[in-house]
Amino acid sequence: MSSTGEELYKQREQRFNDIVALRRPDRVPIVPHVIHYFATKVKGISNRDAGYDHKLHYDAIKEATIRFGWDFTPTNGMFAADGYEALGTTQLRWPGGDLADDASFQFVEGEYMKADEYDEFLADPNGFTLTRIFPRIAGNLEGLGQVPFPPLYWLANTYYLMNVGGPLLAAPPVRKALESLLAMSDAVAGYFAADAANAQEMAALGYPRTWGAPIIPAFDMVSDMFRSLRGSTLDMYRHPEQLLKTIDLVQQGQIALAMMVMQVTGNPRVFIPMHRGAGGFMSDEQFETFYWPSFKGLVMAIIEAGGVPSPLFEGDYTPRLKYLAEFPAGKVAGHFDKVDRKVFKEVLGDKMCFWGNVPVSILCTGTPRQVKDDVKELVDLFGDTGALMLDSGLGVPDEARPENMLALREAADEFGVF
Amino acid sequence: MPSELTEAIVGMREDEALAIVKRELDAGTDPAAVLEDAKEAMSVLGKRFECGDAFIPELIMGGEIMKGIAAEVAPHLKAATSATTRGSVVIGTVAGDIHDIGKDIVVLMLDVNGYDVHDLGVDVPVEKFVAAIREVQPRIVGLSGLLTLAFDSMKATVDGIAAAGLRDQVKIMVGGAPADAQVQSYTGADGWGNDVGQALRLAEQWTGGGA
Repeated sequence: MSSTGEELYKQREQRFNDIVALRRPDRVPIVPHVIHYFATKVKGISNRDAGYDHKLHYDAIKEATIRFGWDFTPTNGMFAADGYEALGTTQLRWPGGDLADDASFQFVEGEYMKADEYDEFLADPNGFTLTRIFPRIAGNLEGLGQVPFPPLYWLANTYYLMNVGGPLLAAPPVRKALESLLAMSDAVAGYFAADAANAQEMAALGYPRTWGAPIIPAFDMVSDMFRSLRGSTLDMYRHPEQLLKTIDLVQQGQIALAMMVMQVTGNPRVFIPMHRGAGGFMSDEQFETFYWPSFKGLVMAIIEAGGVPSPLFEGDYTPRLKYLAEFPAGKVAGHFDKVDRKVFKEVLGDKMCFWGNVPVSILCTGTPRQVKDDVKELVDLFGDTGALMLDSGLGVPDEARPENMLALREAADEFGVF
Repeated sequence: MPSELTEAIVGMREDEALAIVKRELDAGTDPAAVLEDAKEAMSVLGKRFECGDAFIPELIMGGEIMKGIAAEVAPHLKAATSATTRGSVVIGTVAGDIHDIGKDIVVLMLDVNGYDVHDLGVDVPVEKFVAAIREVQPRIVGLSGLLTLAFDSMKATVDGIAAAGLRDQVKIMVGGAPADAQVQSYTGADGWGNDVGQALRLAEQWTGGGA
């Protein structure tokens, strides 16, 4: 007797929740964390078209979810290329922008805030973002840095708003920036319409979506988005107090955003992309000072709000597992890239489910036999509790071989039914 | 015995290190010797990194202190010292990938460890690697990448080097976060690494510097 979409959806949600809560499930599901170009690539659609034609991309994700037998439909990790174009962003490069049609979009890390600008940012984060950061990340917003903006409160009455604000907004560079922001908003509206239609369609077919939205840990926000790896690293030595104050400020925003996205998306699972906290990126002492407190705070805030924090631990987190043991048992859906799975089992086996960790390299360049052997090893290791969900270390790799993704499904059926 | 300068750099005491350099230069110490002490510090940091006792921040900060010291010392150097190198390295991020953070750290550490490093930058086409190998005649080639599309670019680069008849002259390492033995075998490279420690170890092995 086949189940309806609604029943399947409930079963899959329940299975996920059981595994996170360390209750033994009936079988091991495949839960692909995130997807970029894989679904369109296997259909012969260019990366350029995948970025601009949102419905085309979401339809391909639907097809891939069904064809490769995933239990959840992965969240789309790509954003609207027409939005990038409207902004003239220089912080990203993408196929259809200045990259070839089959290249992947890529983030351009830079010191979008300089080392000597911490105090200016901390004194007026909104003004700094508007007049310093925006012009640095997008060509069409450069005008915002060319006009002397007064503090907004100077305009806090109708007379000043009209007599000062009116001419200010008429300045051509400001007008261009505002029009560009509105064009970006229109592009994003088209993207979100396709996104919402896909979520609804997939739910009706019985597939929950993996997570609702990403929230970046505070240190990574400062390091990835403001200061770059090099800048944030030097700041640990040269400007530690300002770095910590900025992390504290950003942290408030990240927690508020996490609450907001859970409400807006209706999805309790919050993706936390983890970058600089990995082993090798800093010492334990630096991790304890600059990274762990705000990351832990974010995770705990999501748990307290009834959500499921879903950090994707990119890189090798084996040296950090001892910290993760501080989280309450059965509350975090930790997804791992290159961690030592045996050490994980020892350190966290009774505290956290194990998700991911099938090597990206095997899925992209290996054989179905290798995929199956790897899944068997995972089931052998975690089968006693069943606290296991299958995925590559980083979601669905763009270059995964289709036969290997099919082998993942076959292996789950062959070894993962309890 | 590490010098006072070496200790200051290894201890990440930037102001102290620069003050020592100024004092030594004022006292007439051979500028080349000052620079050698600073390089020794980077070498110590590299070894500590390999053992898991130092991390990326120390390497980046160490590199930054080195830069400051080099700027202080430069006007005092009478002529370019013809330092003996441990061998040439041609390195770059492969076609289609523009990530450079990991590669830049490897370039820095190979450089301060005495290798003559030719950095071709990012998104480097196969032909550019081949041309650089012809020109530089390196012992080592480093192919870097972060994205999964880099696997095929790395393989195409190794194949291109072979097609140009240059494969036997060079040892090739593939590096970056997703690199592993599987990627090495797929691309036909001679070694792989996820971090600068592995890159340094391979370079040492391939230039006869021990394990």
